[in-house]
Amino acid sequence: MILTDAALLEQALTGAEDAFTALYRRRQGGVYRFALQMTGSTAIAEDVTQEAFLALLLHGTRYDEARGTVASFLYGIARNLVLRRLDRRAWAELEIDDECAGPEDLLEDLTRRESIEQVRQAVLSLPPVFREAVVLCDLQDSSYEEAAMALGCPVGTVRSRLNRGRAMLARKLRGAAVV
Amino acid sequence: MSSNNWISSALRALAEHDSGLEAPAEVETRVLAAFRKKRARRKLKTVALASLAVAAGITLFFARIHPQPKQVAPVPVRQQPIAVAAAPTPLPKATPKARPVKRQPREVVTQFFPLLDVAPPFESGELLRVTVPASTMRRVGLPVNEDHLTDRVYADVLVGQEGLARAIRFVSYEQ
Repeated sequence: MILTDAALLEQALTGAEDAFTALYRRRQGGVYRFALQMTGSTAIAEDVTQEAFLALLLHGTRYDEARGTVASFLYGIARNLVLRRLDRRAWAELEIDDECAGPEDLLEDLTRRESIEQVRQAVLSLPPVFREAVVLCDLQDSSYEEAAMALGCPVGTVRSRLNRGRAMLARKLRGAAVV
Repeated sequence: MSSNNWISSALRALAEHDSGLEAPAEVETRVLAAFRKKRARRKLKTVALASLAVAAGITLFFARIHPQPKQVAPVPVRQQPIAVAAAPTPLPKATPKARPVKRQPREVVTQFFPLLDVAPPFESGELLRVTVPASTMRRVGLPVNEDHLTDRVYADVLVGQEGLARAIRFVSYEQ
């Protein structure tokens, strides 16, 4: 029987290591990718993933199933950790790791790789409020409701930020294509 | 292709490209180590609390066996005029009287009143005899006279294996 995230969290909070490990393995990828796509740094993404799960252990009792999924609760924690780091370091200073591009054999050709990297750079250059909406809804496939819970704002705000974010991306990528 | 579609497919390509990315195994190792450390700390805390509860119970138990001597206020004694007797009259011989049989006081207990709203499963525990202020009886809904709220009464506290006080019952003695 596959347990839900909420059931795993409940067991993990009572000290069940198996449940915590299962929840970590199920959700770490999403948290890691969210942090990576928000910051462009693998080192920060690793730290954020680790701290997000430790924070889940500390504050997991605050999770309310009626308000959203465990995944959106985790994204909310990860988002706060990411924003703290973005505050600490000026955006210009963030190093974008080449590792983000992934293994070479995943890419069909250089053109494709270049376009993907252009999209990544364009996403990373968005202001954080628009970037987090694009990363959650377009890259992490979260629903508007899940994103709203993670970002702590109404669904309508998520929609408008997403539209503005996409419009900014279109301008940036069109500009890049012209150059 | 419209601008919206073009952006959507560009983002989908990035999402697909990143879909296999995961945190390295070292992160899992560190997270699980922190989890075990936290669990060990919590166990230690539970054991410490249980020890404290048992120690408090033992202290109270011994305090009951060896109660402090009560301070008795001096009672004024009225001086009787001393009459001078002419000659001492012999005292009549005391006849031995049958001693009244000392009856042991009978212990009367109330039902157990739960102290936890949601108690974890009970595996084992200890019953500790303690004294508590009579006002405690009020907290579980028993009637107590206003004048006796600060009086001490005996109670049995059921402490579970995890060190939590789960239930209480009150004890009185009838002659």
